[in-house]
Amino acid sequence: MPDLPELNPVIHGKLRLALLSLLTGVEAADFTWLREKTGSTDGNLGAQLAKLEEAGYVGVEKKFVRRKPRTIYRITRAGRQALTEYVQALKKLLGTAIDA
Amino acid sequence: MQDETGTDDLKHRLILIETMIAEGRRTTESWAWTFVVWGVAFYVAIAWSAFSGSALAWPFTMAIAVVITVGLASLKSSREAETTLGRAVGAVWIALGITMFLLFLSLGIGGKLKDPNMFGAIASGLLGMANAASALILRWKVQFGCAVIWWAAAVAGSFWTEKHAGIVFLAAIFFCQIAFGVYGMVQEGRAKSNRATAHA
Repeated sequence: MPDLPELNPVIHGKLRLALLSLLTGVEAADFTWLREKTGSTDGNLGAQLAKLEEAGYVGVEKKFVRRKPRTIYRITRAGRQALTEYVQALKKLLGTAIDA
Repeated sequence: MQDETGTDDLKHRLILIETMIAEGRRTTESWAWTFVVWGVAFYVAIAWSAFSGSALAWPFTMAIAVVITVGLASLKSSREAETTLGRAVGAVWIALGITMFLLFLSLGIGGKLKDPNMFGAIASGLLGMANAASALILRWKVQFGCAVIWWAAAVAGSFWTEKHAGIVFLAAIFFCQIAFGVYGMVQEGRAKSNRATAHA
C-alpha cells in the first residue's frame, strides 16, 4: 500500500485555507475585503492571517490612506506552492472518491 | 490525519478552495461612476468656456475632476482587492489621462489649440482608443460601442463644420460618459447583489 500524504497543518484550518485560496485569485487584498469575503470576525481573521504570515505564506504591507491604517495582503511564492501541494495531497487522499 | 478526516470533509475542502479562487478572480472593481464624473466635468468645462471664453475653464474643471476621482477612489479602494484585470484596465485610463493632460496643456500654452474641431477630434480619438482597449480587455461589447461613437466623433471633427462637429461631440459625451456610466453602475450593482444572494 502506498504512503498517504500528510496535509499541511498550517493551511488545514478552514479559514486559513479560504484566505490562501482567495489571495490566489487576486494580486493583493485589503483586510476589510478579506473579512467581507470570509464573514469572519476581526480578531479571528487577524490571528489566522498572522499564522499564514509567520509561515511565510502571505506578505503584509501596512500603510496609511487618508490618515487611516490600511493592511494589504499578498500570497507569496511559498504560499502558492503550499496550496498547490495541499490540493495535490487532497486529491491523492480522495483517490477515486473525487468523482463520486 | 487522513484517518480523522472523512472523505466528505476532504471533498468540502476541495470545493472551498475552488469557490474561493473563483470568488477572488470574479472580483471586479467599481469604476463606472468615474465615467459620470468625467462626463459632467466635460459639460461644465464646455459650458464655462462657451459662455465666458475663459482660458481657465478646461484646466480648472479637469483639475477638480482629478481631485474628485482620486478622493472617491481612495475611499472605495479600501474595500476592494487588486486584480490583474483591474490593473490592466486601470493602466489604459491612467495612460490616457497623462497623455491628454500633457498634450492639451502643451498645445494650449503653445497657442496651437485655437481650432475647436481639432481639439474635439484629438480628444474623441484618444477616448475611442482607451474605450476600445478597455472593451477588448474586458470583452465588453457595450464599451466597444462607445469606442465606435468616439471614433465617429473624431472623424466628424475632422470634416464637419464647428457647429455640427460640436453637436456630435456633445452627444458622444452623453452616450459614452453619462449614459454608459449609469449603465455600468447598474450592472455593477446587479453583480454585487447576485453575489450576495449566492453567498446567503
